[in-house]
Amino acid sequence: MSEEPPQSYEAAAARVEEIVRRLDSGQAGLRETLELVREGRALIEFCAGELDAVSGDLEELRLDELVARLESEHGGAA
Amino acid sequence: MADTPPFPSEVPVEGSELPGPYAVGEYAAALREKLRGFARVQLVGEVANLRPPTRARVYFELRDAGGAIACAMWRNDWDRLGALTATLADGAQVIVAGGCDYYPGSASASPAFSFSVSTLRVAGEGDLLAQIEQRRRALDADGLLERQRALPRALLPRTIGVVCGETGKAREDVLAGLARRGWAGRLVWAFTPVQDRHAAPLIGAALRELAASGEVEVIVVARGGGSLTDLLAFSDELLCRTVAMLPVPVIASIGHHTDRTLLDEVAAVSCSTPTHAAEEAVPLNCVDARLGLAVAARRLRDDARDGLIARARLLTALSRAPAAHVARHRRALHQSLRELRAASRRLAGDERARTLVRAGTLARCRDAAIRDCSVRRPAELERLRLALAAHDPERTLARGYALVEDAAGEPVTTAVAARAAGHLRLRFADDAVSASVEEG
Repeated sequence: MSEEPPQSYEAAAARVEEIVRRLDSGQAGLRETLELVREGRALIEFCAGELDAVSGDLEELRLDELVARLESEHGGAA
Repeated sequence: MADTPPFPSEVPVEGSELPGPYAVGEYAAALREKLRGFARVQLVGEVANLRPPTRARVYFELRDAGGAIACAMWRNDWDRLGALTATLADGAQVIVAGGCDYYPGSASASPAFSFSVSTLRVAGEGDLLAQIEQRRRALDADGLLERQRALPRALLPRTIGVVCGETGKAREDVLAGLARRGWAGRLVWAFTPVQDRHAAPLIGAALRELAASGEVEVIVVARGGGSLTDLLAFSDELLCRTVAMLPVPVIASIGHHTDRTLLDEVAAVSCSTPTHAAEEAVPLNCVDARLGLAVAARRLRDDARDGLIARARLLTALSRAPAAHVARHRRALHQSLRELRAASRRLAGDERARTLVRAGTLARCRDAAIRDCSVRRPAELERLRLALAAHDPERTLARGYALVEDAAGEPVTTAVAARAAGHLRLRFADDAVSASVEEG
Protein backbone atom coordinates (compact mmCIF):
# COMPACT_ATOMS: atom_id res chain seq x y z
CA MET A 1 0.00 0.00 0.00
CA SER A 2 1.28 3.54 -0.94
CA GLU A 3 1.32 5.90 2.06
CA GLU A 4 2.80 8.78 0.04
CA PRO A 5 0.33 11.49 -0.94
CA PRO A 6 -0.40 11.43 -4.71
CA GLN A 7 1.59 13.80 -6.87
CA SER A 8 -1.13 14.52 -9.38
CA TYR A 9 -4.72 13.82 -10.33
CA GLU A 10 -3.65 11.37 -13.02
CA ALA A 11 -1.42 9.45 -10.61
CA ALA A 12 -4.24 9.25 -8.07
CA ALA A 13 -6.83 8.22 -10.69
CA ALA A 14 -4.51 5.55 -12.06
CA ARG A 15 -3.97 4.13 -8.56
CA VAL A 16 -7.73 4.03 -7.91
CA GLU A 17 -8.18 2.06 -11.15
CA GLU A 18 -5.46 -0.32 -10.01
CA ILE A 19 -7.13 -0.77 -6.62
CA VAL A 20 -10.55 -1.45 -8.14
CA ARG A 21 -9.02 -4.02 -10.52
CA ARG A 22 -7.33 -5.76 -7.60
CA LEU A 23 -10.54 -5.84 -5.57
CA ASP A 24 -12.54 -7.06 -8.58
CA SER A 25 -10.11 -9.92 -9.04
CA GLY A 26 -11.28 -11.34 -5.71
CA GLN A 27 -7.73 -12.30 -4.83
CA ALA A 28 -7.26 -9.78 -2.05
CA GLY A 29 -7.56 -11.10 1.48
CA LEU A 30 -9.69 -9.39 4.11
CA ARG A 31 -6.87 -7.30 5.53
CA GLU A 32 -5.66 -6.25 2.07
CA THR A 33 -9.24 -5.46 1.00
CA LEU A 34 -9.73 -3.16 3.96
CA GLU A 35 -6.38 -1.42 3.36
CA LEU A 36 -7.07 -0.99 -0.35
CA VAL A 37 -10.53 0.41 0.32
CA ARG A 38 -9.07 2.87 2.83
CA GLU A 39 -6.36 3.95 0.36
CA GLY A 40 -8.89 4.17 -2.47
CA ARG A 41 -11.18 6.39 -0.43
CA ALA A 42 -8.32 8.75 0.39
CA LEU A 43 -7.33 8.93 -3.29
CA ILE A 44 -10.91 9.61 -4.36
CA GLU A 45 -11.07 12.41 -1.82
CA PHE A 46 -7.86 13.84 -3.27
CA CYS A 47 -9.24 13.65 -6.82
CA ALA A 48 -12.52 15.23 -5.72
CA GLY A 49 -10.51 18.04 -4.13
CA GLU A 50 -8.60 18.59 -7.36
CA LEU A 51 -11.87 18.72 -9.30
CA ASP A 52 -13.33 21.11 -6.74
CA ALA A 53 -10.34 23.39 -7.29
CA VAL A 54 -11.31 23.85 -10.95
CA SER A 55 -15.07 23.68 -10.57
CA GLY A 56 -16.01 26.92 -8.88
CA ASP A 57 -15.98 30.26 -10.65
CA LEU A 58 -13.45 30.80 -13.40
CA GLU A 59 -10.70 33.10 -12.13
CA GLU A 60 -9.34 35.31 -14.89
CA LEU A 61 -6.36 37.59 -14.56
CA ARG A 62 -3.88 39.22 -16.85
CA LEU A 63 -0.26 38.25 -17.02
CA ASP A 64 0.88 41.55 -15.50
CA GLU A 65 -1.53 41.02 -12.59
CA LEU A 66 -0.11 37.55 -12.01
CA VAL A 67 3.42 38.90 -12.12
CA ALA A 68 2.53 41.71 -9.69
CA ARG A 69 0.86 39.23 -7.34
CA LEU A 70 3.86 36.92 -7.41
CA GLU A 71 6.23 39.82 -6.83
CA SER A 72 4.21 41.02 -3.85
CA GLU A 73 4.10 37.48 -2.45
CA HIS A 74 7.86 37.13 -2.81
CA GLY A 75 8.32 40.62 -1.39
CA GLY A 76 6.08 39.72 1.56
CA ALA A 77 7.94 36.49 2.06
CA ALA A 78 11.23 38.33 1.99
CA MET B 1 42.41 46.87 -47.80
CA ALA B 2 45.71 45.13 -48.01
CA ASP B 3 45.26 44.81 -51.77
CA THR B 4 44.41 48.50 -52.18
CA PRO B 5 47.12 50.25 -54.14
CA PRO B 6 48.91 53.05 -52.36
CA PHE B 7 47.05 56.30 -52.36
CA PRO B 8 48.72 59.45 -53.62
CA SER B 9 48.46 60.93 -50.13
CA GLU B 10 50.30 58.07 -48.54
CA VAL B 11 53.10 59.33 -46.38
CA PRO B 12 55.03 56.59 -44.63
CA VAL B 13 54.97 56.76 -40.85
CA GLU B 14 57.81 55.33 -38.99
CA GLY B 15 57.12 52.95 -36.12
CA SER B 16 54.07 51.18 -37.66
CA GLU B 17 53.90 48.08 -39.78
CA LEU B 18 50.49 49.08 -41.20
CA PRO B 19 50.23 50.99 -44.49
CA GLY B 20 48.99 54.57 -44.48
CA PRO B 21 48.00 56.92 -43.19
CA TYR B 22 45.61 57.69 -46.04
CA ALA B 23 43.42 60.70 -46.49
CA VAL B 24 39.98 59.58 -45.26
CA GLY B 25 38.12 60.89 -48.30
CA GLU B 26 40.33 58.97 -50.62
CA TYR B 27 39.89 55.82 -48.47
CA ALA B 28 36.09 56.29 -48.37
CA ALA B 29 35.97 56.65 -52.14
CA ALA B 30 38.04 53.50 -52.54
CA LEU B 31 35.72 51.68 -50.12
CA ARG B 32 32.70 52.74 -52.17
CA GLU B 33 34.31 51.35 -55.31
CA LYS B 34 35.12 48.14 -53.48
CA LEU B 35 31.54 47.72 -52.23
CA ARG B 36 30.07 48.55 -55.61
CA GLY B 37 32.23 45.77 -56.96
CA PHE B 38 30.30 43.19 -54.91
CA ALA B 39 27.95 40.96 -56.90
CA ARG B 40 24.42 42.27 -57.35
CA VAL B 41 21.89 40.00 -55.58
CA GLN B 42 18.29 39.67 -54.39
CA LEU B 43 17.44 39.90 -50.70
CA VAL B 44 14.27 38.87 -48.89
CA GLY B 45 13.14 40.32 -45.62
CA GLU B 46 10.65 42.46 -43.76
CA VAL B 47 10.38 46.17 -44.46
CA ALA B 48 11.13 48.28 -41.38
CA ASN B 49 11.55 51.98 -40.72
CA LEU B 50 10.15 52.98 -44.10
CA ARG B 51 10.61 56.72 -44.18
CA PRO B 52 8.63 59.17 -46.34
CA PRO B 53 10.30 59.60 -49.72
CA THR B 54 12.59 62.59 -50.11
CA ARG B 55 12.99 64.39 -53.36
CA ALA B 56 15.82 62.12 -54.50
CA ARG B 57 15.81 58.95 -52.38
CA VAL B 58 13.62 56.55 -50.37
CA TYR B 59 15.14 54.93 -47.28
CA PHE B 60 14.06 51.83 -45.34
CA GLU B 61 15.53 48.77 -43.71
CA LEU B 62 15.20 45.11 -44.52
CA ARG B 63 15.14 42.79 -41.49
CA ASP B 64 14.73 39.24 -40.39
CA ALA B 65 15.52 37.29 -37.23
CA GLY B 66 19.19 37.05 -38.18
CA GLY B 67 19.97 40.67 -39.00
CA ALA B 68 19.14 43.82 -40.93
CA ILE B 69 20.53 45.97 -43.69
CA ALA B 70 19.90 49.59 -44.63
CA CYS B 71 18.34 50.06 -48.06
CA ALA B 72 17.97 53.06 -50.34
CA MET B 73 16.16 53.54 -53.65
CA TRP B 74 16.43 56.34 -56.10
CA ARG B 75 13.18 58.24 -56.29
CA ASN B 76 12.63 57.47 -59.95
CA ASP B 77 13.06 53.70 -59.30
CA TRP B 78 10.62 54.03 -56.40
CA ASP B 79 8.05 55.83 -58.50
CA ARG B 80 8.23 53.09 -61.15
CA LEU B 81 6.77 50.69 -58.53
CA GLY B 82 3.44 52.46 -59.11
CA ALA B 83 0.51 51.54 -56.83
CA LEU B 84 2.72 49.39 -54.63
CA THR B 85 4.32 52.47 -53.11
CA ALA B 86 0.95 53.48 -51.63
CA THR B 87 0.41 50.16 -49.82
CA LEU B 88 3.96 49.25 -48.87
CA ALA B 89 4.40 49.54 -45.11
CA ASP B 90 6.51 48.28 -42.28
CA GLY B 91 6.14 44.54 -41.78
CA ALA B 92 5.70 43.72 -45.47
CA GLN B 93 7.75 40.83 -46.73
CA VAL B 94 9.57 42.00 -49.87
CA ILE B 95 12.23 40.85 -52.25
CA VAL B 96 14.65 43.53 -53.42
CA ALA B 97 17.31 43.44 -56.13
CA GLY B 98 20.44 45.57 -56.08
CA GLY B 99 23.94 45.81 -54.73
CA CYS B 100 26.06 47.36 -52.02
CA ASP B 101 26.80 51.06 -52.10
CA TYR B 102 28.50 53.54 -49.85
CA TYR B 103 28.01 57.27 -49.55
CA PRO B 104 31.42 58.55 -48.50
CA GLY B 105 30.06 61.75 -47.00
CA SER B 106 32.06 64.94 -46.88
CA ALA B 107 33.40 67.47 -44.47
CA SER B 108 29.82 68.50 -43.75
CA ALA B 109 27.86 65.26 -44.46
CA SER B 110 27.82 61.95 -42.62
CA PRO B 111 28.78 58.81 -44.50
CA ALA B 112 26.31 55.96 -44.89
CA PHE B 113 26.28 52.40 -46.10
CA SER B 114 23.21 51.19 -47.96
CA PHE B 115 22.02 48.42 -50.18
CA SER B 116 21.08 50.25 -53.33
CA VAL B 117 17.72 48.82 -54.40
CA SER B 118 16.90 49.00 -58.08
CA THR B 119 13.66 46.96 -57.99
CA LEU B 120 11.35 45.74 -55.25
CA ARG B 121 8.41 43.32 -55.15
CA VAL B 122 6.23 41.94 -52.39
CA ALA B 123 7.27 38.37 -51.57
CA GLY B 124 4.82 35.86 -52.98
CA GLU B 125 3.42 32.91 -51.09
CA GLY B 126 5.99 30.63 -52.70
CA ASP B 127 8.81 32.86 -51.47
CA LEU B 128 7.43 32.87 -47.94
CA LEU B 129 6.82 29.13 -47.89
CA ALA B 130 10.36 28.52 -49.08
CA GLN B 131 11.60 30.81 -46.34
CA ILE B 132 9.50 29.01 -43.71
CA GLU B 133 10.69 25.63 -44.94
CA GLN B 134 14.27 26.79 -44.64
CA ARG B 135 13.65 27.82 -41.01
CA ARG B 136 11.85 24.56 -40.30
CA ARG B 137 14.89 22.62 -41.48
CA ALA B 138 17.13 24.73 -39.28
CA LEU B 139 14.90 24.01 -36.25
CA ASP B 140 14.75 20.33 -37.11
CA ALA B 141 18.52 20.15 -37.48
CA ASP B 142 18.81 21.55 -33.95
CA GLY B 143 16.35 18.94 -32.65
CA LEU B 144 13.81 21.59 -31.66
CA LEU B 145 10.74 20.05 -33.28
CA GLU B 146 10.43 17.26 -30.71
CA ARG B 147 11.29 18.95 -27.41
CA GLN B 148 7.80 20.21 -26.59
CA ARG B 149 6.16 16.92 -27.50
CA ALA B 150 8.31 15.15 -24.93
CA LEU B 151 7.01 17.34 -22.08
CA PRO B 152 4.53 15.72 -19.67
CA ARG B 153 1.10 17.33 -19.67
CA ALA B 154 -1.20 17.56 -16.64
CA LEU B 155 -4.53 15.81 -16.95
CA LEU B 156 -6.18 18.45 -14.82
CA PRO B 157 -4.20 21.72 -14.70
CA ARG B 158 -5.19 24.28 -12.13
CA THR B 159 -3.75 27.27 -13.99
CA ILE B 160 -3.66 27.79 -17.75
CA GLY B 161 -1.94 30.59 -19.64
CA VAL B 162 -3.42 31.91 -22.88
CA VAL B 163 -1.59 34.09 -25.40
CA CYS B 164 -3.92 35.70 -27.92
CA GLY B 165 -5.15 39.01 -29.27
CA GLU B 166 -7.26 40.97 -26.83
CA THR B 167 -10.09 41.63 -29.23
CA GLY B 168 -10.12 38.58 -31.45
CA LYS B 169 -12.62 35.74 -31.47
CA ALA B 170 -9.92 33.35 -30.26
CA ARG B 171 -10.47 34.51 -26.70
CA GLU B 172 -14.16 33.54 -26.76
CA ASP B 173 -13.35 30.22 -28.38
CA VAL B 174 -10.85 29.37 -25.66
CA LEU B 175 -13.45 30.11 -22.99
CA ALA B 176 -16.00 27.97 -24.85
CA GLY B 177 -13.57 25.06 -25.03
CA LEU B 178 -12.82 25.27 -21.30
CA ALA B 179 -16.54 25.43 -20.51
CA ARG B 180 -17.08 22.28 -22.57
CA ARG B 181 -14.57 20.53 -20.33
CA GLY B 182 -16.39 21.80 -17.26
CA TRP B 183 -13.15 23.46 -16.20
CA ALA B 184 -13.19 26.67 -14.15
CA GLY B 185 -9.70 27.06 -12.70
CA ARG B 186 -7.38 30.03 -12.98
CA LEU B 187 -6.83 31.53 -16.42
CA VAL B 188 -3.95 33.91 -17.07
CA TRP B 189 -4.40 36.04 -20.18
CA ALA B 190 -1.38 37.39 -22.01
CA PHE B 191 -2.74 39.72 -24.68
CA THR B 192 -0.30 40.51 -27.46
CA PRO B 193 -0.37 41.66 -31.07
CA VAL B 194 -0.88 38.63 -33.28
CA GLN B 195 0.16 40.20 -36.57
CA ASP B 196 2.90 42.51 -37.84
CA ARG B 197 6.58 42.63 -37.11
CA HIS B 198 6.16 43.48 -33.42
CA ALA B 199 4.05 40.40 -32.71
CA ALA B 200 6.71 37.69 -32.60
CA PRO B 201 8.99 39.28 -29.97
CA LEU B 202 6.03 40.22 -27.78
CA ILE B 203 4.50 36.74 -28.04
CA GLY B 204 7.90 35.27 -27.18
CA ALA B 205 8.24 37.58 -24.17
CA ALA B 206 4.72 36.70 -22.93
CA LEU B 207 5.47 32.98 -23.23
CA ARG B 208 8.71 33.36 -21.31
CA GLU B 209 6.98 35.30 -18.52
CA LEU B 210 4.13 32.82 -18.24
CA ALA B 211 6.55 29.93 -18.02
CA ALA B 212 8.81 31.77 -15.58
CA SER B 213 5.89 32.44 -13.22
CA GLY B 214 5.96 28.78 -12.24
CA GLU B 215 2.19 28.93 -11.92
CA VAL B 216 0.85 27.91 -15.32
CA GLU B 217 0.93 24.22 -16.22
CA VAL B 218 0.08 24.62 -19.90
CA ILE B 219 -0.05 27.54 -22.33
CA VAL B 220 -2.44 28.00 -25.24
CA VAL B 221 -1.35 30.24 -28.12
CA ALA B 222 -4.37 31.08 -30.23
CA ARG B 223 -5.09 33.19 -33.27
CA GLY B 224 -7.87 33.18 -35.82
CA GLY B 225 -7.41 32.68 -39.55
CA GLY B 226 -5.47 34.96 -41.87
CA SER B 227 -3.26 35.06 -44.92
CA LEU B 228 0.18 33.53 -44.96
CA THR B 229 1.64 37.00 -44.47
CA ASP B 230 -0.71 37.69 -41.56
CA LEU B 231 0.42 34.51 -39.83
CA LEU B 232 4.09 35.02 -40.61
CA ALA B 233 4.84 36.19 -37.06
CA PHE B 234 4.10 32.65 -35.88
CA SER B 235 6.79 31.31 -38.17
CA ASP B 236 9.39 33.61 -36.69
CA GLU B 237 12.48 31.56 -36.04
CA LEU B 238 13.38 33.22 -32.77
CA LEU B 239 9.85 32.79 -31.42
CA CYS B 240 9.85 29.14 -32.41
CA ARG B 241 13.19 28.56 -30.74
CA THR B 242 11.80 30.22 -27.59
CA VAL B 243 8.75 27.94 -27.61
CA ALA B 244 10.86 24.84 -28.20
CA MET B 245 12.98 25.59 -25.15
CA LEU B 246 10.09 26.36 -22.78
CA PRO B 247 9.67 23.91 -19.89
CA VAL B 248 5.88 24.34 -20.07
CA PRO B 249 3.89 22.60 -22.84
CA VAL B 250 2.45 24.93 -25.46
CA ILE B 251 -0.72 24.13 -27.37
CA ALA B 252 -0.95 26.03 -30.62
CA SER B 253 -4.00 26.97 -32.63
CA ILE B 254 -2.90 29.36 -35.33
CA GLY B 255 -5.22 30.18 -38.21
CA HIS B 256 -7.55 27.68 -39.78
CA HIS B 257 -6.92 23.99 -40.09
CA THR B 258 -5.34 24.47 -43.52
CA ASP B 259 -2.81 26.96 -42.19
CA ARG B 260 0.42 25.59 -40.90
CA THR B 261 2.97 27.79 -39.16
CA LEU B 262 6.30 26.91 -37.67
CA LEU B 263 4.83 27.38 -34.18
CA ASP B 264 2.49 24.47 -34.94
CA GLU B 265 5.57 22.40 -35.69
CA VAL B 266 7.43 23.12 -32.47
CA ALA B 267 4.44 23.16 -30.09
CA ALA B 268 3.54 20.16 -27.92
CA VAL B 269 0.19 19.94 -29.69
CA SER B 270 -1.24 21.71 -32.73
CA CYS B 271 -5.00 22.17 -32.93
CA SER B 272 -7.26 23.37 -35.71
CA THR B 273 -9.28 25.76 -33.54
CA PRO B 274 -8.82 27.64 -30.26
CA THR B 275 -11.76 25.67 -28.85
CA HIS B 276 -9.96 22.41 -29.48
CA ALA B 277 -6.75 23.89 -28.11
CA ALA B 278 -8.54 24.74 -24.86
CA GLU B 279 -9.96 21.21 -24.67
CA GLU B 280 -6.49 19.83 -25.31
CA ALA B 281 -5.15 21.96 -22.45
CA VAL B 282 -7.57 20.14 -20.10
CA PRO B 283 -7.53 16.52 -21.28
CA LEU B 284 -9.90 15.52 -18.48
CA ASN B 285 -13.61 16.18 -18.86
CA CYS B 286 -14.37 17.38 -15.36
CA VAL B 287 -18.05 16.42 -15.51
CA ASP B 288 -17.28 12.86 -16.64
CA ALA B 289 -14.47 12.66 -14.10
CA ARG B 290 -16.88 13.48 -11.24
CA LEU B 291 -19.22 10.73 -12.41
CA GLY B 292 -16.26 8.38 -12.70
CA LEU B 293 -15.17 9.18 -9.15
CA ALA B 294 -18.68 8.51 -7.86
CA VAL B 295 -18.69 5.14 -9.63
CA ALA B 296 -15.26 4.28 -8.25
CA ALA B 297 -16.32 5.27 -4.73
CA ARG B 298 -19.44 3.09 -5.03
CA ARG B 299 -17.39 0.16 -6.27
CA LEU B 300 -14.98 0.53 -3.39
CA ARG B 301 -17.88 0.61 -0.93
CA ASP B 302 -19.50 -2.41 -2.56
CA ASP B 303 -16.22 -4.30 -2.70
CA ALA B 304 -15.62 -3.64 0.98
CA ARG B 305 -19.16 -4.69 1.92
CA ASP B 306 -19.13 -7.76 -0.33
CA GLY B 307 -15.74 -8.77 1.01
CA LEU B 308 -16.93 -8.53 4.58
CA ILE B 309 -20.20 -10.35 3.91
CA ALA B 310 -18.45 -13.15 2.03
CA ARG B 311 -16.00 -13.64 4.85
CA ALA B 312 -18.72 -13.48 7.49
CA ARG B 313 -20.59 -16.22 5.63
CA LEU B 314 -17.44 -18.25 5.44
CA LEU B 315 -16.84 -17.88 9.16
CA THR B 316 -20.44 -18.85 9.95
CA ALA B 317 -20.12 -21.90 7.75
CA LEU B 318 -16.86 -22.81 9.43
CA SER B 319 -18.38 -22.45 12.90
CA ARG B 320 -21.16 -24.85 11.95
CA ALA B 321 -18.78 -27.26 10.34
CA PRO B 322 -17.98 -29.63 13.32
CA ALA B 323 -21.68 -30.35 14.12
CA ALA B 324 -22.44 -30.83 10.47
CA HIS B 325 -19.45 -33.11 10.20
CA VAL B 326 -20.61 -35.32 13.12
CA ALA B 327 -24.16 -35.46 11.78
CA ARG B 328 -22.85 -36.41 8.37
CA HIS B 329 -20.76 -39.19 9.85
CA ARG B 330 -23.62 -40.40 12.07
CA ARG B 331 -25.85 -40.67 9.02
CA ALA B 332 -23.11 -42.54 7.22
CA LEU B 333 -22.64 -44.93 10.15
CA HIS B 334 -26.37 -45.62 10.38
CA GLN B 335 -26.48 -46.36 6.73
CA SER B 336 -23.49 -48.69 7.05
CA LEU B 337 -25.16 -50.46 9.96
CA ARG B 338 -28.35 -50.93 7.99
CA GLU B 339 -26.40 -52.29 5.09
CA LEU B 340 -24.45 -54.59 7.41
CA ARG B 341 -27.61 -56.00 8.96
CA ALA B 342 -29.18 -56.57 5.60
CA ALA B 343 -26.03 -58.23 4.39
CA SER B 344 -25.92 -60.44 7.50
CA ARG B 345 -29.51 -61.50 6.97
CA ARG B 346 -28.78 -62.31 3.39
CA LEU B 347 -25.68 -64.23 4.42
CA ALA B 348 -27.47 -66.30 7.13
CA GLY B 349 -30.27 -67.22 4.74
CA ASP B 350 -27.83 -68.34 2.11
CA GLU B 351 -25.83 -70.33 4.64
CA ARG B 352 -28.95 -72.03 5.98
CA ALA B 353 -29.98 -73.06 2.50
CA ARG B 354 -26.51 -74.37 1.82
CA THR B 355 -26.56 -76.32 5.16
CA LEU B 356 -29.90 -77.91 4.34
CA VAL B 357 -28.57 -79.00 0.98
CA ARG B 358 -25.48 -80.41 2.67
CA ALA B 359 -27.70 -82.24 5.28
CA GLY B 360 -29.78 -83.79 2.52
CA THR B 361 -26.65 -84.90 0.76
CA LEU B 362 -25.26 -86.40 3.97
CA ALA B 363 -28.55 -88.22 4.63
CA ARG B 364 -28.42 -89.66 1.16
CA CYS B 365 -24.81 -90.73 1.74
CA ARG B 366 -25.76 -92.26 5.05
CA ASP B 367 -28.61 -94.26 3.53
CA ALA B 368 -26.36 -95.40 0.73
CA ALA B 369 -23.70 -96.47 3.24
CA ILE B 370 -26.26 -98.37 5.26
CA ARG B 371 -27.42 -100.09 2.13
CA ASP B 372 -23.84 -100.78 1.20
CA CYS B 373 -23.01 -102.41 4.55
CA SER B 374 -26.16 -104.43 4.93
CA VAL B 375 -26.75 -105.75 1.46
CA ARG B 376 -24.17 -105.01 -1.18
CA ARG B 377 -21.03 -105.58 0.83
CA PRO B 378 -22.00 -109.04 2.31
CA ALA B 379 -22.94 -110.26 -1.15
CA GLU B 380 -19.70 -109.00 -2.57
CA LEU B 381 -17.80 -110.59 0.30
CA GLU B 382 -19.37 -113.93 -0.33
CA ARG B 383 -18.58 -113.66 -4.00
CA LEU B 384 -14.99 -112.93 -3.20
CA ARG B 385 -14.81 -115.72 -0.61
CA LEU B 386 -16.03 -118.20 -3.17
CA ALA B 387 -13.58 -116.96 -5.79
CA LEU B 388 -10.76 -117.15 -3.30
CA ALA B 389 -11.73 -120.63 -2.16
CA ALA B 390 -11.66 -121.76 -5.74
CA HIS B 391 -8.00 -120.81 -5.91
CA ASP B 392 -6.97 -122.31 -2.49
CA PRO B 393 -3.99 -124.77 -3.06
CA GLU B 394 -5.27 -126.84 -0.13
CA ARG B 395 -8.21 -127.86 -2.23
CA THR B 396 -5.78 -128.99 -4.97
CA LEU B 397 -3.75 -131.01 -2.41
CA ALA B 398 -7.00 -132.59 -1.27
CA ARG B 399 -7.54 -133.82 -4.78
CA GLY B 400 -4.13 -135.68 -4.61
CA TYR B 401 -1.63 -133.14 -5.82
CA ALA B 402 1.59 -132.32 -3.78
CA LEU B 403 3.31 -129.00 -3.37
CA VAL B 404 7.17 -128.96 -3.72
CA GLU B 405 8.93 -126.50 -1.43
CA ASP B 406 12.57 -125.74 -0.67
CA ALA B 407 14.07 -125.69 2.79
CA ALA B 408 12.84 -122.16 3.27
CA GLY B 409 9.27 -123.13 2.42
CA GLU B 410 9.28 -121.35 -0.91
CA PRO B 411 7.49 -123.22 -3.74
CA VAL B 412 9.80 -125.00 -6.24
CA THR B 413 8.11 -124.99 -9.59
CA THR B 414 10.84 -126.22 -12.01
CA ALA B 415 13.28 -129.16 -12.29
CA VAL B 416 16.17 -126.78 -12.50
CA ALA B 417 15.11 -125.16 -9.24
CA ALA B 418 14.70 -128.64 -7.65
CA ARG B 419 18.21 -129.69 -8.66
CA ALA B 420 19.58 -126.46 -7.35
CA ALA B 421 17.79 -126.84 -4.04
CA GLY B 422 18.98 -130.49 -3.54
CA HIS B 423 16.72 -131.08 -0.50
CA LEU B 424 12.99 -130.62 -1.04
CA ARG B 425 9.88 -130.92 1.05
CA LEU B 426 6.77 -132.45 -0.46
CA ARG B 427 3.59 -131.31 1.13
CA PHE B 428 0.50 -133.49 0.75
CA ALA B 429 -3.00 -132.78 1.95
CA ASP B 430 -2.58 -134.80 5.11
CA ASP B 431 1.16 -134.15 5.86
CA ALA B 432 4.60 -133.23 4.43
CA VAL B 433 7.69 -135.42 3.77
CA SER B 434 11.39 -134.60 3.00
CA ALA B 435 12.99 -135.63 -0.27
CA SER B 436 16.41 -135.49 -1.91
CA VAL B 437 17.10 -135.02 -5.58
CA GLU B 438 19.00 -137.86 -7.06
CA GLU B 439 19.83 -138.02 -10.71
CA GLY B 440 19.73 -141.48 -12.02
